[in-house]
Amino acid sequence: MRALRENPLLRYHLLGATRHRWRRQPWLYGAAVLGIGLVYLLVLQLTVFSEASIYATLWLTLFVMCIAAPLMAYNLFSLEYEKQTWESLALTRLTAREIFWGKYGAALTRVALTTLLFAPFILTTHHTNGYVIAASFATLFGWGTLLISVSLWLSFKLKRTLNTAATLYAGQVIVLWLLPMLYTMVISLNYVSSYVLRDLISSVQSYTEAFGTWLFALFNGAFIVYANPFTVATELEHMGEPITYWRDTPHTLYREGLYFMLWGFVQSIFYLGLAALFAGLTYRGIKISWRK
Amino acid sequence: MLDVQGLRKEYGELVAVRDIRFQLYPGDVFGFIGPNGAGKTTTIKMLATLLEPTAGTATLNGIDIVRHPEEVRPLLGYMPDFFGLYEGITVTEYLEFFAAAYRIPKSQRATIIENVLELTDLTVKKDAYVETLSRGMQQRLCLAKSLVHDPILLLLDEPASGLDPRARIEIKELIRELGAMGKIVLVSSHILPELADFCNKIGIIEKGELLVWGVVDEIIEQLQANRVLEIKPLGDPEPLIQRLERESHVHGVETRNGSLYVHFAGGLEEQADLLAALIRDGFRIAAFREESLDLEDVFMRITKGEVS
Repeated sequence: MRALRENPLLRYHLLGATRHRWRRQPWLYGAAVLGIGLVYLLVLQLTVFSEASIYATLWLTLFVMCIAAPLMAYNLFSLEYEKQTWESLALTRLTAREIFWGKYGAALTRVALTTLLFAPFILTTHHTNGYVIAASFATLFGWGTLLISVSLWLSFKLKRTLNTAATLYAGQVIVLWLLPMLYTMVISLNYVSSYVLRDLISSVQSYTEAFGTWLFALFNGAFIVYANPFTVATELEHMGEPITYWRDTPHTLYREGLYFMLWGFVQSIFYLGLAALFAGLTYRGIKISWRK
Repeated sequence: MLDVQGLRKEYGELVAVRDIRFQLYPGDVFGFIGPNGAGKTTTIKMLATLLEPTAGTATLNGIDIVRHPEEVRPLLGYMPDFFGLYEGITVTEYLEFFAAAYRIPKSQRATIIENVLELTDLTVKKDAYVETLSRGMQQRLCLAKSLVHDPILLLLDEPASGLDPRARIEIKELIRELGAMGKIVLVSSHILPELADFCNKIGIIEKGELLVWGVVDEIIEQLQANRVLEIKPLGDPEPLIQRLERESHVHGVETRNGSLYVHFAGGLEEQADLLAALIRDGFRIAAFREESLDLEDVFMRITKGEVS
């Protein structure tokens, strides 16, 4: 793919902009790497020795992703505008596709590396199986990809780094915390509806029913809760525990419902789909605004 | 050749640039003069394909800048009035970035970068970090970046703004050299002495309108149809003023610092006749000369100080 091969912008964002900083401030960067490394090893040790569940580790890694992913892309376009470099870039022979992939590719690589960095946490958790591990990686990578896509689009539209960062973090607080809380509060007012979230899943006993439930969730608002990556992590916990825990309890149906709903994967596909939409909007913006 | 045909830019009801026309040829250094807000930058951005004109177009070597911006871009170099540089990399890496972005083959890049560094006198700074360069050097690096792909048209928007006197002189020398290399150079500025030295053509823009354009000397010649003569009389100037006011070519007389400044509508023949007549009439004249026009005078005579 030419947009990635021999792309000077990708090389600059991946290597050029950071390579020399190590050489120029070795003590600062050395101390930062050492500190982060120590915290990483300490948390990994806790995960392994205290038999942490997937719920705990995925929450932790998702939290870090929520903080880190916007930082990987939030200034990629806004700095071009703030430092007035975009005109020079627009006049080069780089195509809109190359400019887009130069920036998006760099951010995507960082999300992939961050996901890999968290692999030891996910792989060493207690009570998991192949499905849960794969769904956890998909959720983490999908959410990270969505975040960088939105970051890149906002960075392009708002043209200001500070505004982009503020919008991204405030947006996450609204989408991940306020909206689900508001939705849960509203449905709690109705005694019958208050069971809707779990009961819906328990009633699913085939893939056809699962498809219907996803559609229904879109319309009754439950999707706000189901699509939340932290909800995904919480429910994946149930899917990893041995079946003997659940046998002959109402939870068996719930667990099976989650499997039929392809819990974790559907949400990841949703994140990636939304990410593709925002990426497309950014690409279109470059084509139109930069006359590429 | 750059052929600008009726270029116009409107923002709602505001007409930022109205129907600009001019032609430039290889080797021309065109000074684009106008007060702040006159429409210089808008015009340059349209020529640089960064802004789409509302009407009109321009062709560069026959290629339409509006219909084929992607084909024109490799032929032009653009240095904006406010510019930034990619930081965290060295001068050479910065130029390599743009050489790669202009698809210059890898095998040629080192030689081209070396040549451009030499032309812009940045060879000694080739390993310096971009952000450590002085403003003047950054300006030269920006120019070097614009030259990496050997463009035929250079659009320089206020290239000397914010520079110290030495850096200004250096950038002027550089622009002169680029003109001598056969490039079409369009330089905008509102500081006239800056342009007077190295432009062979000028265009004066005010309120979005190109009031005049052409070869500098020809414009000055046109404007000198209404000349100002400085006459320094010995003794009381009053009789001389009364005598001058009777002359048909004289439109007015001002007195400043003991000299008379006569607005005269005649040519060299009429000037000689006037001087002879005054001496014949017994006036004692210590000095008699035509006030010569420079770019500043031209600018002041043509413009009214309005912005679009």
